Amino acid sequence: MRFPFWRRSRQEDLGEEIESHLRMAAREREERGETSRAAEQSARREFGNASVVREVTRDQWGRRGLETLFQDLRYAFRMLSKSPGFTTVAVLTLALGIGANTAIFSIVNAVLLHPLPFKDPSRLVLLHEGIPKMGYPKMDFSVPDLAVFTRAQQSFTAIAAFHNEHVDLSGQGEPERVIAARVSASLFSMLGAQPMMGRTFTQEEDAPGHALAMLSYSLWQRRFGGAQNILGQTIAVDRQPYTIIGVMPRNFVFPLPSDEANGQSAELWIPMAFTPVEFQDWGGSYFYGAIGRLKSGLTLSQARFESKLSARRIIDSYPAAIGNFARKGELTVIVAPLQQDLVGSVRPLLLILMASVGFVLVIACANIATLLLSRAASRHEEIAVRTALGATRLRLLRQSLTESLVLSLAGGGLGLLLASWARDLMLQLVPPSILLPHQVPLSRTVLAFAFGVSIFSALLFGLVPAFQISSFSVQSSLREGGGAAKTSRRRFRLQRIFVTAEFSLALVLLVASGLLIRSFAKLLATNPGFRPDHVLTVNVPLPSPVYSHAVQVENFYQQVLAKVSNLPGVQSAGISNDLPLRGYEMVSISPEALASGRTSTPQAICQTWVMGNYLQTMGIPLLQGRWLTPEDRFGSQQVALVSLSAARNFWPGQDPIGKRVRWGVNGPWETVVGVVGNVNQQGLDAPLVPQVYRPYLQLNGGFLEQDPFADMHAMNIAVRTANDSAALASAVVAQVHSLDPQLAVGNIKTMTQVLASSVAAAQFNTVLLGIFAGLALFLAAIGVYGVLAYSVAQQTHEIGIRMALGAQQRDVFRLILEQGARLIFLGVAIGLLAAFGLTRLMASLLYGVSPTDPVTFAGVAVVLVAVALLACYIPARRAMRVDPMVALRYE
Amino acid sequence: MKSRYQNRIELLQGTLDLLILQTLQWGAQHGYGISQAIRARSGEALQVDTGSLYPALHRLERQKWIAAAWKVSENKQRVRVYRLTAAGKRQLLSERSRWEQLSEAIAGILNPARENQA
Repeated sequence: MRFPFWRRSRQEDLGEEIESHLRMAAREREERGETSRAAEQSARREFGNASVVREVTRDQWGRRGLETLFQDLRYAFRMLSKSPGFTTVAVLTLALGIGANTAIFSIVNAVLLHPLPFKDPSRLVLLHEGIPKMGYPKMDFSVPDLAVFTRAQQSFTAIAAFHNEHVDLSGQGEPERVIAARVSASLFSMLGAQPMMGRTFTQEEDAPGHALAMLSYSLWQRRFGGAQNILGQTIAVDRQPYTIIGVMPRNFVFPLPSDEANGQSAELWIPMAFTPVEFQDWGGSYFYGAIGRLKSGLTLSQARFESKLSARRIIDSYPAAIGNFARKGELTVIVAPLQQDLVGSVRPLLLILMASVGFVLVIACANIATLLLSRAASRHEEIAVRTALGATRLRLLRQSLTESLVLSLAGGGLGLLLASWARDLMLQLVPPSILLPHQVPLSRTVLAFAFGVSIFSALLFGLVPAFQISSFSVQSSLREGGGAAKTSRRRFRLQRIFVTAEFSLALVLLVASGLLIRSFAKLLATNPGFRPDHVLTVNVPLPSPVYSHAVQVENFYQQVLAKVSNLPGVQSAGISNDLPLRGYEMVSISPEALASGRTSTPQAICQTWVMGNYLQTMGIPLLQGRWLTPEDRFGSQQVALVSLSAARNFWPGQDPIGKRVRWGVNGPWETVVGVVGNVNQQGLDAPLVPQVYRPYLQLNGGFLEQDPFADMHAMNIAVRTANDSAALASAVVAQVHSLDPQLAVGNIKTMTQVLASSVAAAQFNTVLLGIFAGLALFLAAIGVYGVLAYSVAQQTHEIGIRMALGAQQRDVFRLILEQGARLIFLGVAIGLLAAFGLTRLMASLLYGVSPTDPVTFAGVAVVLVAVALLACYIPARRAMRVDPMVALRYE
Repeated sequence: MKSRYQNRIELLQGTLDLLILQTLQWGAQHGYGISQAIRARSGEALQVDTGSLYPALHRLERQKWIAAAWKVSENKQRVRVYRLTAAGKRQLLSERSRWEQLSEAIAGILNPARENQA
């Protein structure tokens, strides 16, 4: 390889320098009287062989870094292409390791490291209320509380409220159910977000009576074809005209998609415009999100302290009737950085995944290192010759590392391809609890990471073999026999260390994966409290401006229930506002005072409004008392069903039937008429909470019209079918549309699907970690196989002698197996200790399994040992088959 | 080939460096000039082989003891001229003192009588 660009000038310089020397010498001779021709000739003669002079002079320049590098590279390519088998295995192994790391890192980078796309996002905080002593550790704000807090606080430059609402878009095209975010006018400037067209709301417009909307980029494109004259047009939101005043840019997402919204994000923004009624809703609806921007120069802990003080002002402002409970419940305000609030729960998961792929990479590197060490032995002579020819130790080290670098960069390149492919696959698996930003690009950071990991890997697997190679002394390597055998045994020890380390790491990964698998199995085996099979659910939201009277809403749902119940194939049907594992509503109720005279205090309870045969349809068992019936309607005695856990909590050791509860502290009394089984409303792994079921038809009409929880107009139909429940979906939707063709129904899901998506996050960890652990197991098995196979090849001679001296095949087989077993058991022992120390870090991901679960530890160790012994079996058999005669002639 | 050098004194390794540095102490010089100066100052006893001179010059340049530049000579020729650097001056001093020690030591061995007199 030549580098004419800079080399030529230097070569030419030297040529010219020598020419000038010759000319000067000739000139002097001419001056002394020689003829010009003779002078030139004798000058040349005196000078000697110019090309040799040039050559030896050039040697003094030293090899410049770049040229050496290219020479080393050329050499590396030559050496690697000489052993395509090794090269392929090494590159593929590295590609797997680096690819897995890159793929996981691209998610970690997008979720944990990437700053939110807002102005100065580190100073944005989410605000929550909490009434810990009443069973509400963290909830959103109520409107009056937020108003008081906003006036009282001094830590934030601004506080904005936001709330996602599901609305119908109609008018042009198909009716469509989208999320509209009600937001305070101050939100946009707080986030530093500018509309790409038009404007945002003003403070004055953030009040009732301003029907203004801003569209998301995607809604603008989808519904309006990206029309430029969109501003000033109207859009029907829940069949009310809203004037479009702006379009937000494509990358603007707020509120960030949440689990609750099913990963969807808001498609239009309308003014928060709190109503006077909302401002008076003391102790009522704690479901408005609040975001604030810290004043500059203020630390988070200062803001927290100050917010706790301001929380007292909230308590003081409560009406006397409930103020006491806010005080006793220790109402407080929780301040958390936006970023942390978003990723807090997925952080351990992602970090554990990152650590796992790191382990896989280290195992892969250890594998390649052992392969390189084996190769180093066979390259002994080559190295000796190069050393004899004057290669310095440093040069050999560099050469060897260059080879590693070529390997790992090739692996890294291939790994990047693998990663971009695996990422697409993985992104589909990502549960909604991991809030992914708009896209997860293979950004520059990710590319840099892949490159860095490649370099790091090269050092990891290349350094030890490189030192090994460069420390071969000329003498010991040129001497055959004894000396070489001695060094090879020492090299062998290094390989053993690597293999032992591989097994330790693989064991840790396998234990982690085993724990997750067991935990996932436990999760699946958890009785959800309902029978998920053959149940179809459909969400039927009624736009509240159209269905503004309670009678309309009740009539609609009663009619649709009757129609759906009569469909062929439907065994039973019911309606509820919340489905198990899909949203829940916590309220405070006061159970009737116990006979012991203890005063009743409000308790947090999960409340569901039901209609028809909802509980029967879900397969929730009645344990005591009676079901709710159509006669439990407005005007009749107020009744409720409670779950077993509620009954045991409120009235331990007593008959709950006939006991009474009431909403808050002054709601009307309701009589418990039955006890039903516990349902895991909040998720299979969530602790059971007490539950109460109340008849939808006993809902106070005024309350229904006002619908502060925004779900009394968005009830779910649940249908238990004889056959495939999904097949009935279109028939159910048809019944809905026979009553109101403009309705946009949504979330058509079987309860089996609901159950599956509720464990999606657990499944994600389990599957990914399982893949990584499998990879680790595979690599470790290859590692021990490689070392043993090499060792058998090296010991062929010795084995031949043993067999010639009368050793049985069985003895040889055992000898080799023992060599392998020693590595394996040592590795497993170290791994078990390490796992014992490390698995507690993943406690938050486990359900029903202790991080040091002995069954998992033992099972994993057995699996690992079994697979490893299998890997030893092949070389051991080969050793057994050694023909003593051939082996002895071999040397 | 070998016969051509018979009547010359083979320079000890490292000695040429010292001679070059010493020569350059009197001012910048090109390769030919250096070889001529060494020959002249040694009374024609030392003939510097160009196969040693140019590698030595380039080695010294790489060690930054001398620096090179293209100049135009009085004969309107482009010549590569070497000059001593500050580091080169220090090197010259230390090599000179080493050389003096060495030659004293050798002289002491070769002339024991003189040492006895001293």
